[in-house]
Amino acid sequence: MNFIDSLIKLLGETFKSLKLLSRNTMGFIGFVIVVGVVLLSFVGPYFWPPEQSANVDDINQGVTAKHWLGTDFQGQDNMIKVINGGRDIVMIAFITGITATTIAVIVGATSAFIGGRVDDLIMGLVNIWLTIPKFPLLAVLATVLKLNDVVTLSLLMAFLDWPGLSRQVRSQVLSLKRRDYVEAAVMLDLGTPHIIFRELLPNMMSFIAIATINTMTFAIYQQTGLVFLGIVPYSSANWGVMISAAERRGVLYNPQAMWSIIAPMGAIVIFQLGLVSFARSLDEIFNPRLRTSV
Amino acid sequence: MTATISTPSFDLLTLWDRLKSNYLLQKIAQAIFVVWFVASVTFFVVRAMPGNAVDVLIQDLTLAGVSPEDARNQASLLIGLDIDKPLPEQYGNYMLNTLRGDLGLSYKSRGLKVSELIVQVLPWTLFSVGLSLMISFTLGIALGAIMAYNHDTWIDHLLSNIAATLDAVSPYLIGLLAILLIGVTWKWISISDMRGAMSPGMQPEFSWEFITDIFMHVRVLLLVYVLSTIGSWMLQMKSTTIATLGEDYVTVARARGLPDSRIITAYVGRNATLPLFTRLAITIGFAVSGSVLLETLFTYRGVGFLLAKALSDRDYPIMQGVFLIITIAVVFANLIADFVYGWLDPRIRISGGEG
Amino acid sequence: MQPTLSVRNLTIEYATRRGKVQAIRNVSFDVKRGEALALIGESGSGKTTLGLGIVQLLPAMARITSGDIVYRRQDKTGAPPLEIAALTLKGDSLRQFRWRECAMVFQGALNAFNPVLKIADHFGDTAKAHGALNGKSLEERGKHLLNLVRLDAERVWKSYPHELSGGMRQRVLIALSLLLDPQLIILDEPTTALDILTQRNIMDVLKELRTKLDFSLIFISHDLSLAAELADRVATVYAGKIVELSDVQTIFKAPTHPYTIGLINAVPTLTGHKDDLTSIPGSPPDLVEMPSGCKFHPRCPLADEKCKTHEPEAEFAAADHQVACWQWQKARGVLKSYA
Repeated sequence: MNFIDSLIKLLGETFKSLKLLSRNTMGFIGFVIVVGVVLLSFVGPYFWPPEQSANVDDINQGVTAKHWLGTDFQGQDNMIKVINGGRDIVMIAFITGITATTIAVIVGATSAFIGGRVDDLIMGLVNIWLTIPKFPLLAVLATVLKLNDVVTLSLLMAFLDWPGLSRQVRSQVLSLKRRDYVEAAVMLDLGTPHIIFRELLPNMMSFIAIATINTMTFAIYQQTGLVFLGIVPYSSANWGVMISAAERRGVLYNPQAMWSIIAPMGAIVIFQLGLVSFARSLDEIFNPRLRTSV
Repeated sequence: MTATISTPSFDLLTLWDRLKSNYLLQKIAQAIFVVWFVASVTFFVVRAMPGNAVDVLIQDLTLAGVSPEDARNQASLLIGLDIDKPLPEQYGNYMLNTLRGDLGLSYKSRGLKVSELIVQVLPWTLFSVGLSLMISFTLGIALGAIMAYNHDTWIDHLLSNIAATLDAVSPYLIGLLAILLIGVTWKWISISDMRGAMSPGMQPEFSWEFITDIFMHVRVLLLVYVLSTIGSWMLQMKSTTIATLGEDYVTVARARGLPDSRIITAYVGRNATLPLFTRLAITIGFAVSGSVLLETLFTYRGVGFLLAKALSDRDYPIMQGVFLIITIAVVFANLIADFVYGWLDPRIRISGGEG
Repeated sequence: MQPTLSVRNLTIEYATRRGKVQAIRNVSFDVKRGEALALIGESGSGKTTLGLGIVQLLPAMARITSGDIVYRRQDKTGAPPLEIAALTLKGDSLRQFRWRECAMVFQGALNAFNPVLKIADHFGDTAKAHGALNGKSLEERGKHLLNLVRLDAERVWKSYPHELSGGMRQRVLIALSLLLDPQLIILDEPTTALDILTQRNIMDVLKELRTKLDFSLIFISHDLSLAAELADRVATVYAGKIVELSDVQTIFKAPTHPYTIGLINAVPTLTGHKDDLTSIPGSPPDLVEMPSGCKFHPRCPLADEKCKTHEPEAEFAAADHQVACWQWQKARGVLKSYA
């Protein structure tokens, strides 16, 4: 019975959140976009598998009835390529985002909570780490370590991204630490894990969600950049690969062939904007004080 | 009267505390540490890790038919180290060399000194990134203030959305879009005029012609840098200004009958801008990071371009050297930003951060 | 001599999410030349709003819906006064009015200063904004005023706000308020949030200033005992109205409004028993949905049917003693305590 109860409660909460979300149009649109992109990228390829061979007749065409987003230098339909090209990007975004944020939350919250010299030390190291330009470092490491799969790349990016986040987490926790209910919990000696998980974290959820999404957008950028520089191998035709492949073939200067860049670029931009709009509206969902009515 | 001789106790912890309380010293110590750390990490990655670059080079050379001994000698020459010596000694030599400005020789273009290559291209990057940062900061602050003073009006909504969009899109995409729209679709500027630091055949000299030529070529790149960084400045300035407007001393200033012009500048403006300086560090790093991709996109021969080429060529000495120089440049810029902040905010200047 | 300030039928409304709130309802009073008037009330009574309204520094959601305020600047020679209709001022003339004629000193001076400017600059800004002294003469006057509030002028003049303690900052703000020689100073809770010793200090400084200088003072507080030290006349404010107004002796020795009586009884005396301590039962009214009739009736032991339906207007219990209560004659002498 208990399980059913909590499941019903969970569904109720989700439903309430969705209802709130729908009030906030921008956020809802963002949410729909994100879900749409994810579904399309993972489920889409089963319905629209990648074309196997080139169609020499259709090279570099613009928008036509047959090819809604034009064709590329091999005559293959851009829309199909876009549908198939999202999986890597989405995976990288989610893996990097979630990993980096998790590490950052653990380190940042603990450091802020313990305070004192431990905090000074950890934050000192983080600050030092932050002054190193991230992307060149990523590029150099990626070159030297010869990465060729999505998961390793995501983890490497997460490893480089978490220190910046942990600083933000820490300042959030610090400001929450002074709130009365936290002090009360400390005085009641409710135990550190309880305080962290039941008092602090729930009040930071919106911040955490936004931080995760920001990390995700940044990861997409980094991956695209690495592909462009030729560091991450072209083994799969994801959006980043599509863009740099097209750019290298001078597609930019041909108004019709342009679509083989615009299509993947548009996909990335839409995905990023969807994430960001969704993030900005999360504040209202997670922060009951901002809700005017339910 | 008994005289007591107290021996000063040297305690590492008190030194730590004292260091913490002097803002300037703290920042300088941090800067030195970062540079040392980065230099060491590059050494480790290139030389000491399993599967490291030098070993790979030796492998390549041996495969190409060079004798093992010659291969090792060549590798030593290129990397600027004697690879037969024990690792700690190599590390020491590496550090010494770096301090003397010797960063080794390029793999690909054998014989060219890394330090020379860098010195040739560094000024161009400093120019483009520095100028764009100044423009972006100034414009961003002005627009952010406008947004704050017109909070919740259509101007605010419009600018906020523009800022948020710019902030979300990566510089690389902005660069592509810029080339696409300005060069191809609208044809405002020809592609050849957008690329490169100067027109072919131009000689660097202090002439008006040369200077206009540079500016003509760099304007789209500048635009892209500015667009990619301005969104964040705008949004932050808006939020700090709104917060400052709610401060008591602003209301008191009005009660004192001060004119709006004075309140906007000295009371709101200065206090709202201060927190932004702490973000300057991150933005500088961000812009320099972006230079790797953007300079490649615009074939602008700066430090980023050099690094990008070295990455695709697997030219490790250049990679190593450029990365170190980039880090030093960013650390130095941050140090200056920290100093300026410390000078501007009397709370830091006077009590050394103890408030 | 005419009053320095005459407030007539002032009503100030706030627009809140729950509805309109009348923070000040049809309030009228005078502040005589050179006198100190204390406005005493609980938080939410509207006393701060009243002060803000005089200098038109109300927050965006508040509006003055009716009434007028006349301020008169008069010198000792008895020449005809300069009259200013304070609520009609706008723009530059409003700017000039503020601080020059009427200086409002807010509560919590902790954050009243611009952190990046020295105290000297604050004086400079103020003087410059009103086209007053500058340079050497400004410095002399500024330091003179700082000495007057018992501060080390040399040191404070060159300091930044964060280098001074809370009590010091409060005194600097008081000194600053005297810079342009205003004829009316409004002090809003000048000692709240300060420790006892500093409070004492500030009160002494204020008393000294009143003997040495010549200005009228509106002193806003919730603390009756402070009013006793400083004020010539006291007005008690409840739910946006002045319920009693008289000289300080009468208020303390012979109050007639049940609210005032309750306030007096709540102040512990040096010689009283602890059993004598009382407080007024109940809590201040919800300003959006106020009780009918007299707003104090839910907490008043003397309330009858008339009190519940009709709001009392101010009557004269004596020459300089107004009270707004149907039962005031009964109240005097009857209510020793609320027990």
